[in-house]
Amino acid sequence: MMYRLDPRSDEWIDRSAPLSFRFEGRAYVGFQGDSLSSALCGAGAQYLGRSFKYHRPRGVLSAANHDTNALFQVDGIPNVRGDVTALRAGMRICAVNTFGGLFVDRARHLDKLSRWLPVGFYYKAFHTKRLLPRWERMFRRLTGLGSVSLAAPREITPKRYGFCDVLVIGAGPSGLSAAMAAAASGARVAIVDEAPRLGASVGLSESSRQTLRQLTDAVNHSGSITRHPGTVAAGYYADHWVALVDAQHLTKMRAKAVVFATGAIETPAVFRNNDVPGVMLASAALRLVSRYRVAPGRRVVIVAANREAYEACAELHSMGVAVDTILDLRDSLGGDESIMQECAARGVEVVVGHAPYAARRDRSGALCGLEYVAVDASGARKSAAVKRLQCDAILMSVGWTGAAQLFLQSGGTLSFSEELQQFLPADLPAGVLVAGRLNGVYDFDARLADGRRAGSAAATQAGFEIPAAPSVSRSERRPSHAFPIMDHPDGKNFVDFDEDIQVKDLEGAIQEGFDSSELLKRYSTVGMGPSQGKHSNLNALRVLARARNLSLRDLTTTTSRPPYHPVPLKILAGRGFHPLRRTPIDALHSAHGAVWMPAGNWRRPEYYARADESREASIDAEVWAVRNAVGIIDVGTLGKIEIYGPQAGEFLDRVYAGKYSDLRIGMTRYGLMLDESGVIIDDGVIARLATDHYYFTTTTGGSATVFRELLRLNALWGMDCALVNVTGHLAAFNFAGPLSREILQPLTGVALDDSAFPFLAARVGEVAGLQARLMRVGFVGELGYEIHVAAGVASSLWQALVAAALPRGLRPFGVEAQRVLRLEKGHFIVGQDTDGLTDPIEANALWAVNMRKPFFVGQRSLRILEQRGPRQRLVGIELNEPTPTVKECHLIIDEGAIAGRVTSITHSKTLNRSIGLALIAPHLAGSVGDIRIRDDRGVLVSARLAPTPFYDPKNQKQKSESGL
Amino acid sequence: MSGPTTGAAPATSAQVTLAAEARRARLGVKGPGAAQWLVAQGVVLPMAANTWHSALANEARQSLLVARLGSAEFFLEEGAPSQLLARLKQGLESRPGGVYPVLREDSGFTMGGAAVHDVLNQVCNIDFAGMPLDGNPLVMTLMMGVSVLVVPYGNAVGRTYRIWCDPTFGEYLGDELATIVGEFGGTYRGVQDESRSS
Repeated sequence: MMYRLDPRSDEWIDRSAPLSFRFEGRAYVGFQGDSLSSALCGAGAQYLGRSFKYHRPRGVLSAANHDTNALFQVDGIPNVRGDVTALRAGMRICAVNTFGGLFVDRARHLDKLSRWLPVGFYYKAFHTKRLLPRWERMFRRLTGLGSVSLAAPREITPKRYGFCDVLVIGAGPSGLSAAMAAAASGARVAIVDEAPRLGASVGLSESSRQTLRQLTDAVNHSGSITRHPGTVAAGYYADHWVALVDAQHLTKMRAKAVVFATGAIETPAVFRNNDVPGVMLASAALRLVSRYRVAPGRRVVIVAANREAYEACAELHSMGVAVDTILDLRDSLGGDESIMQECAARGVEVVVGHAPYAARRDRSGALCGLEYVAVDASGARKSAAVKRLQCDAILMSVGWTGAAQLFLQSGGTLSFSEELQQFLPADLPAGVLVAGRLNGVYDFDARLADGRRAGSAAATQAGFEIPAAPSVSRSERRPSHAFPIMDHPDGKNFVDFDEDIQVKDLEGAIQEGFDSSELLKRYSTVGMGPSQGKHSNLNALRVLARARNLSLRDLTTTTSRPPYHPVPLKILAGRGFHPLRRTPIDALHSAHGAVWMPAGNWRRPEYYARADESREASIDAEVWAVRNAVGIIDVGTLGKIEIYGPQAGEFLDRVYAGKYSDLRIGMTRYGLMLDESGVIIDDGVIARLATDHYYFTTTTGGSATVFRELLRLNALWGMDCALVNVTGHLAAFNFAGPLSREILQPLTGVALDDSAFPFLAARVGEVAGLQARLMRVGFVGELGYEIHVAAGVASSLWQALVAAALPRGLRPFGVEAQRVLRLEKGHFIVGQDTDGLTDPIEANALWAVNMRKPFFVGQRSLRILEQRGPRQRLVGIELNEPTPTVKECHLIIDEGAIAGRVTSITHSKTLNRSIGLALIAPHLAGSVGDIRIRDDRGVLVSARLAPTPFYDPKNQKQKSESGL
Repeated sequence: MSGPTTGAAPATSAQVTLAAEARRARLGVKGPGAAQWLVAQGVVLPMAANTWHSALANEARQSLLVARLGSAEFFLEEGAPSQLLARLKQGLESRPGGVYPVLREDSGFTMGGAAVHDVLNQVCNIDFAGMPLDGNPLVMTLMMGVSVLVVPYGNAVGRTYRIWCDPTFGEYLGDELATIVGEFGGTYRGVQDESRSS
C-alpha cells in the first residue's frame, strides 16, 4: 500500500493547500503540486486504470509522462495523463477504457479469455468476410481510450513560432550543462524538458543533487537561455525544426543546432504479473518519493541489474523509505560491491544471481509477494526451485534504453553496443549533437562534461566562436542487463503494457514468420500504443534476437516518426486562421440586410433580406429591379490588374486568346485565358486606357493565381511592361438596368449617351465628385456601367448612387440574383460551367479566340483540339416542366449511360421557365429531341436544348438599341 | 535608430499595443525608370531592395517613409501632411517613361510593447526579435495567411512594427491581431473606435 511520507523541504507539494477531488465517484484529497497519480497514490488508491486489452488493473509504471495505463477522463477531457497532469481542486476524474467503472469493470473477464485472443487475433478473425460485421461491432465497442465529450470546454491552444541558435532537448545534468556552455558563446539558447521543472533528475547522490541544483539555478538566471519546462519535443523536422508541445501551445522551434540530451528511459524487467499495481520502475518510485513524498510501499523489493538499483536504494533510504530486499539478476556485481555493501549495512538483504519469476497477488488483487528463481549470467534459469518473499512494492532497475527517437528523426543512426547493452548514436547529421546517457555516458560528472562538450560544439556549429570542450569517454560499466526477461508457463509476463503483449505473443508472431523488427511491430502491435514502445521496444528486440539466435547488433530498431509523444488534437488544431476579405463597403451591405455567402476567401452578399420577403422573393425582386428599373451590385471582388509599358498590348495578346494590341483606346474587349493545354482557366474584361496602359479584370477566385502566373510569364518573356495588382485597392460596382443611364448621368461629367459612350466603351472621369473608371459592359444583359474607384472612397460612391437611384426603384442585388441574370443571358462562369478540361471549342467560345495571332498561351494545343473534336459541349437547356428537384451537377442520362451534367440551373421568373447550362456529349448537342436529367430522387426529368441567350437574344437591351 | 513616424504610437506601459492607422497619403511607383524619376523629384531612396528610408531631401525630414520593395518598385507614405505625394501623383499623370503609378490603399497598423514578439510569433514565422535593424530592413511575408509589408524600427529598449496589408484583409488582420494582443493583456485602438480595447 502506497502512502504519504513526512514532509521534506524540497518536496514539490504544498501541504498547506489541500485539494479535494473525486476519482471514480469517490472523494479524495491531494495537495497543491501533486500530479493526479501522486495524489491518488498518496491517498492510498491501489488502481489507477485498466489495461487496454485484458482490462487488468494497473498503477504507476514510470511517473515520467509515459504511464499509458493511467490515462484519465478529467472534467470531460479524455486521455489526460495522470503522471504529469497537475491536480486542481474539484476535479472529477474517471479511468478510461472501463465498462461500469474502474473497480467493477465488466471487461475484466477478458483477462481470463486471453488464451483465445492470441497475437494476430485481429488478422485471423477478420479474414472471414461473413463474420466481419460482428467483429467490427464488438471491437468498436471494446476499443478506444476515453470518450469525446461535446460538453468539454473549448481551450485556446495557439501555435507559435520560436527561434534560437541552440536548442537543447533534455534538462538533466548533460542538458543543463550543454545549455550553459552554449550560452557562454553568446548564442541564444532554448532548453526544453517534459518534466515540470528543469533539473528534475532522480537517482543522484546528495552531492550530485546539490551540483544539479546549482546548475539549474544558473540556467534559470541566465539571460540568454529560454526555458521550456513541461514541454515535449514531439517531432524533429528538416533544418532543425522541432515541434515543442506544452499544455497550451505548439511551438515551431527553428534552431541552428540541436543538442539531444534526451537521456535514457528505464526499461522494465519481464516476469509474470509484472504489471500488478505496486510493480514499478525504480525511477518512478524515486520521482514519487522525492517530488510528492509518496512511498511505493512498506515492504519494498528492488529487482536489480545495475548500479542504479543500489543508488536508488540509498536515495530511498535517505528519504525515509526502507528497502527490504535487493534481488540482483547478476551473479557478479562488476564493481558495484562497495555500494552493495553500503546497502547491506542499512539492513537490506541482497540476493545475487536471482531473477523475479512472478509477482503474487492476494485475494483482493493487491501485490503481496514475489517468486524468484536462480539464474546464470545470461539470465537463463538455473534450477526449478522457486523461492518466495513477501512485499507490497517491487521496483525494477534492470536497464535503460536511450531516448533516441528524436535523434533518429533528425537523420542520425544508431549502433548497438554489447558493452553497454544499448543502442548508441553512430552517425550525426550536421548541426546535431548528443550528450549524456543517450550518448552512453552514465556517471554524473561525466554527464556534465559531455554536456559541456556538446553545448560548445553546438554553438560552434551555430556560428559562434567558443573553444572546444574536451571529449568524454563512454561509461565503462554496464547499466543494462542483456536479457531481463523470465519465461513463465502461464504467461502474463508483459513486454508491452500499452497493448498487453506478453513474451509468448512475440514468440508466436516470430514463429509465424514476422521475424524482423518492423514486421514484428506491425503484427504484434508492440510499440504501437500511446507510449510508442518507449518501455517495450528494446525487450521486444531481445525476444526477437533470442528467437533468431542473433545479437541485437544484427537487428535494426524500428523507424521513429513524429510525433515522439502523442499530441492532443487541440494542440494540432491550434488557433484557426481563416483569412477573410471584405470589400470596402462591407458595413453598408450589412446595413442593407445582406445575407452573406463565402466566395473564395471573400464574403459577398448572397441577397439582401427584407422583413416581409422570403429568400426567393428577395432574389426575384432583385432580378426584377435590374430588368425593369435599376440595381447595383458590388463587384469589387473581381481581380483587377493594371499593365503598363510599350509592350503591354503584346503581352496581353500572348496571355489571352483574343487580340488586344489593336484595341482602341477607350474600348474594352472580353478576354479568355487558357492554360498551355488549351483549357479555359479564367476570363474577364480588358480595357485600354492609354497607348501603353491597360486595365483588366479577372474572376473573383482567379485573381491571385492569374496575377502570379502573369508575373511569371513576364519574367520569363522579359517584355517591357509592368503589372500591378490593384484588386484590393480598387472598389467596383455594376450599376445596371434600363434606368441606370438617366440616374447616373447627373452624377458624372462623362457623357453617357450611346454615341459618346457606346456599348463596351471605357471612360475615365468623375462620378459623384470621385475619380472613377467606367466600363459599359453587359454581364447581366441590361444597360449598365461598371464603376471602379479607389477603395478609400467606395462608400461615398455607393451611397451617392443608392441615394440617387432609390427613388427610382433601385435594389442592391446579390450574387444569387446575378447568377439568374447572367444565366438568362447564357453567360458561363469559369469553374462552374467549365471544368478542368473544358476548352473554348467545347464552351462555344471560339468567338473570343483569335487563332490568327502568332502566339498565345494554349494556341498550339487548341489547334490540336480543333482536329480532335470536342469531348463535350456546353449547351443551353430548358426543362419541359419546372422541376425544382433538378440541381447543378445532376447527370444527363442517355441510353442508360452518363452523357453529361447540368452546370447551372434556375427558374427564371422573367422568362417563366426553368433554364440552365449543361456540358453534354457532342452527339447530343446536335439532337433535336429531349434529353433526360436524373434528379436526387432518381427520377428522369425531361429537358430540351435551347439556344442562348435565353433573354434578349439579340442583345439589344445592353446595347440600349431599344432604350433611350 | 529613428523609426518612421506614426500617428498612433503605442503606449509603453502596456505589454503590447496595437493601433490601426488612419488613412494616410500613399503612393506606389514601379518601372525601370522609377528610381531615377523619384530621385529627380528630390526623394532620397534606400539603396538596397527590401530596406526603407524615412528622410526626405530638401523637405521636412521624418515626414516621409520610402520603402524599396524591389530594384524598381517603391512604396511611399506621408507621415504628416505635405504636398509631396500630391506633387508626385501629378507628375505621374504626364506618364514619364518607364515610371508607373501603383495605387496604394493599404490598411496600416502599428504594434509595439514588451510582448510584441510574443504576438508576432503567433502570426508569422519570421524571427523579428532576432533580426538586426542595421540597414533598416523591411519584410514582405505572410501573416495569418495575409501578405503584409512590415517595417521594424526601434532601439535597445523596444521595437515597434508598422504593418501594411491589402485593405480588403484589413479588418480580418486587425481583428485577429487584436484577439491575440488582448490575450497578452494589450489594447487595440481602431481607426473608428478610439476607445476599443481588447
